[in-house]
Amino acid sequence: MAVEHVVSRVEDLPVGTHKVFRVGGREIGIFNVEGRYYALPNNCLHQNGPLCKGSVSGTLESTAQGGWKPSWVREGEIVICPWHTMEFDIITGRCLAEPRRRLPTYTVTVIDSEIRVSIP
Amino acid sequence: MSENADSTLEGRAPKKLPQGVKVIDVDVHAHETPGALIPYCEMPWRKCLESIAKVPERYLDIPFFAPQMAVWTPPFPQSGSERRNVVTSVAQMRKDLDELRVDVGVIFPDNLLLLAALRDSDYAVALARAYNRWLTGEWLGEDNGMKGAIVAPSQSPVAAAEEIRRYATHKNVAAIYLPSCCVDPMYGHRCYDPVYEAAQEADLPVMLHSVTAIFPVFPFNLNGFTTMFSAHIASHGFSMVANLLSMMETGVPARYPKLRIGFSESGIGWVPWIMMRMDKEYKERRREMPFLSDLPSTYVRQMFFATQPIEEPENMQQMATILSLFGGERSLMFASDWPHHDFDHPNKVLQIPVSPEIQRNILGENASRFLKLKENA
Repeated sequence: MAVEHVVSRVEDLPVGTHKVFRVGGREIGIFNVEGRYYALPNNCLHQNGPLCKGSVSGTLESTAQGGWKPSWVREGEIVICPWHTMEFDIITGRCLAEPRRRLPTYTVTVIDSEIRVSIP
Repeated sequence: MSENADSTLEGRAPKKLPQGVKVIDVDVHAHETPGALIPYCEMPWRKCLESIAKVPERYLDIPFFAPQMAVWTPPFPQSGSERRNVVTSVAQMRKDLDELRVDVGVIFPDNLLLLAALRDSDYAVALARAYNRWLTGEWLGEDNGMKGAIVAPSQSPVAAAEEIRRYATHKNVAAIYLPSCCVDPMYGHRCYDPVYEAAQEADLPVMLHSVTAIFPVFPFNLNGFTTMFSAHIASHGFSMVANLLSMMETGVPARYPKLRIGFSESGIGWVPWIMMRMDKEYKERRREMPFLSDLPSTYVRQMFFATQPIEEPENMQQMATILSLFGGERSLMFASDWPHHDFDHPNKVLQIPVSPEIQRNILGENASRFLKLKENA
């Protein structure tokens, strides 16, 4: 049974920012991406670094459709671990370097301007 | 005539092979002398071959043709050129391969292993074309198990692509040989895109193959060593490692997803090492290689590797472990390197304790997929 925890008020987590909260004995990073909220564990699956203390940015992509030219995409949707720069998709938790691995994600809701995260 | 008429192979073929196995040897060497190529070489380059045809031959070491430049070790008996063993006719090759219990052999050159060391692009292209004409004309005419790798001259990727297209449908051309000794730039450079494009289009695999040399390009600036022991290990192994890294960093396997890539004459111990190193590094530097959609090891597992010179630990179980680390059950291909001094007899590969099914794969099935051999081949 998931338990909902209030972590912040919306005005304290504006668009494009993220913060780490201690929730039910865990550290959870909450991200505000274009007004939508996402949550990831503050624990990189590489070497357990404090992932959510890392910076948020876009990333480089290069595909056959784009003639293999590198392009900068997904600005604001990628978090980079401060230890070894492993990249993670904030929205899905997927590791960009190891696409078969992903972090768990948590449901975030906003009620009465309060940001709540559900921890299973 | 062959210079090794007194075969030492007789009566030593493996007694027991997995049932119904067709043994494919992905690396055997035909001996192309400058003289042999004269009638196949266009003018004015034929004049060059005529002028060097009478130079006494040393082992993979002919000035202006195969410039090895590694002849700096003390020449005690049996230490170098005296161990020269060559095959000069298709009849001799067939006989030797029969004694090795090999059904299909893929022919590579001897002297043109050093082709990439030649600086004059037009000359190198002329030699490559002459060799390809000679190979297809004198060695690949019959259906007797002789397959060939045509040489792609690195000095002109455009001419190399033309050669690939010229021989794309030849029934016994099974691969494209990428000269990997002294090649500069390395095979990841975008200048080689036409080669990979042509190879993928022709549905022919590319095979990297090096040889010993000292040459002022990475990783052949080996003048720090004093022995062939070191230079031989480094010339082959470092070349494969460096070219694999080069190809990975520009995304060759991602950009040419149907291209089959093979690595020759470096054994297999290096494969798990470089694969794991690349994975480790990639996690930190993925943005340098955004064309990869997965770990480098994913691409390595789709590449092919020839066995020779297979490592020989006392406990051959270790080789079974090593090959399992990179999916060698599906990608490792037997190679003898016949008739070179460090050839591997199939007996050695059969000492790796793997199941009969994996033995069958290594001895032939994997090569059959790599080369896409037709049933009647």
